[in-house]
Amino acid sequence: MTSEANPILPGPLSLIAELTHRCPLHCLYCSNPIEMQRASDELSTEDWTRVFQQAAKLGVLHLHLTGGEPLVRKDLPELIRAGREAGLYVNMITSGVGMTEQCLATLVDAGLEHLQLSFQDLEEESANHIAGTRSHAIKLALVPILKKFHLAFTVNLVVHRMNLDRLEDFIALAEDLGPDRLEIAHVQYYGWALKNRALLMPTEEQVHRALPIVEAARERLKGRIHLESVFPDYFGSFPKACVGGWGRQMMLIDPVGQAMPCHSAAVIPGLTFDNVRQHDLRWIWRDSAAFQRFRGDSWMSDTCLACPRKERDLGGCRCQAFMLTGDAEAIDPVCTYSPHHGLLQTLRTSTPEVLPIWRG
Amino acid sequence: MEMSSTPTFAPGCRLHPTQEVMLVPEGTLKLTGPSRDILLRVDGQRTVTEIADDLLQGYPETNTDEIRNDILDLLARLEQRGVLRTTQLPTPNDLRS
Ligand code: SF4
Ligand code: SF4
Repeated sequence: MTSEANPILPGPLSLIAELTHRCPLHCLYCSNPIEMQRASDELSTEDWTRVFQQAAKLGVLHLHLTGGEPLVRKDLPELIRAGREAGLYVNMITSGVGMTEQCLATLVDAGLEHLQLSFQDLEEESANHIAGTRSHAIKLALVPILKKFHLAFTVNLVVHRMNLDRLEDFIALAEDLGPDRLEIAHVQYYGWALKNRALLMPTEEQVHRALPIVEAARERLKGRIHLESVFPDYFGSFPKACVGGWGRQMMLIDPVGQAMPCHSAAVIPGLTFDNVRQHDLRWIWRDSAAFQRFRGDSWMSDTCLACPRKERDLGGCRCQAFMLTGDAEAIDPVCTYSPHHGLLQTLRTSTPEVLPIWRG
Repeated sequence: MEMSSTPTFAPGCRLHPTQEVMLVPEGTLKLTGPSRDILLRVDGQRTVTEIADDLLQGYPETNTDEIRNDILDLLARLEQRGVLRTTQLPTPNDLRS
């Protein structure tokens, strides 16, 4: 497809800027690619500033600064200011490691509007086990500092097989911290996390026990803490539209400037990513082969083409289809109509004896 | 939220400078009808009554009670959603006691 065939393609709503792959933590569930980008190849302040301006013109509303650990970038305040000046809403996802009150004051002054702090577990020992470093105490100490600032604050609870049975205590801890928002997210099995999938993936029974706990908490916290939860679609019968549909709502830029339709797109063989160093964001959004690859329905299997749900799920997640079946055009195996749906059944019930693998 | 409450935006929540949306952490809320006009008057100073009076200026014939209730309803829903907060300013009675 060329841009002429695509005259009214709506622009993306959010831009995920992976500022760096450098990070002081070594999480079991890290979704960063296993081959990380070198610090010396990272985009410069000027590159990012140009990208933010182009993004705003393309219709992007939210900018999510992430990593690795964004705090590793010495120019973080400048990047935040550049995002705000371009007219974007600026959110940052951090491990909190390396944050001080003075540093936070600089970031808020630069225009940071929302900060997300993720917790690996509620107990020091197991949290550090998961994050592979001593970060839990650092995060807890950061919370009272965060509250001194005019800043939206989200606690992100990352749940998985090893902590899902203690979800109630987990939520209580988060409640004591008093964030504006609480997000309960399941580990996504990309990048490093895929290596630890057997260890991290909850059982179906665990997920079913967790759902009413989440609902009860949502009711109880109403008006005080806004709760959002994303449960794994491994347990559904039908897939979700991945990232709102391939090339439909979001764009991710990695530390060296490659533009991707989602954070795990690189697992799909044969996709090449255009770089913001060479191209304008508008051109990339409309014409880059990687963004065009799964737009529309021409790539879909006959089963999906004939299915009324295709408008809603757009055929499901391409990366998941590839990782589980080896074919990126296959029906997402989460779907009952997939010939590979049985694979999911096996994954859901198995209780393998495995040792965790931390990234170095 | 009551007519005497003073609503203010929660941290990380603001009106888009031009579009009919509220920007909130992680997303946007579409605004319909007069919502944007109402929210433009939320400044942490005015009470719900004052916001309504301001909006109703120049429309003396309209059913003001109904509109007041609609405004309160919208603001209360946004409070539930975590987008607005209220500060109850002390009344003259509180100050006396
Ligand atoms: S998952 Fe852990 S190691 Fe990976 S980027 Fe996030 S905090 Fe760093
Ligand atoms: S057959 Fe295809 S379109 Fe239909 S529900 Fe399954 S994945 Fe979605």
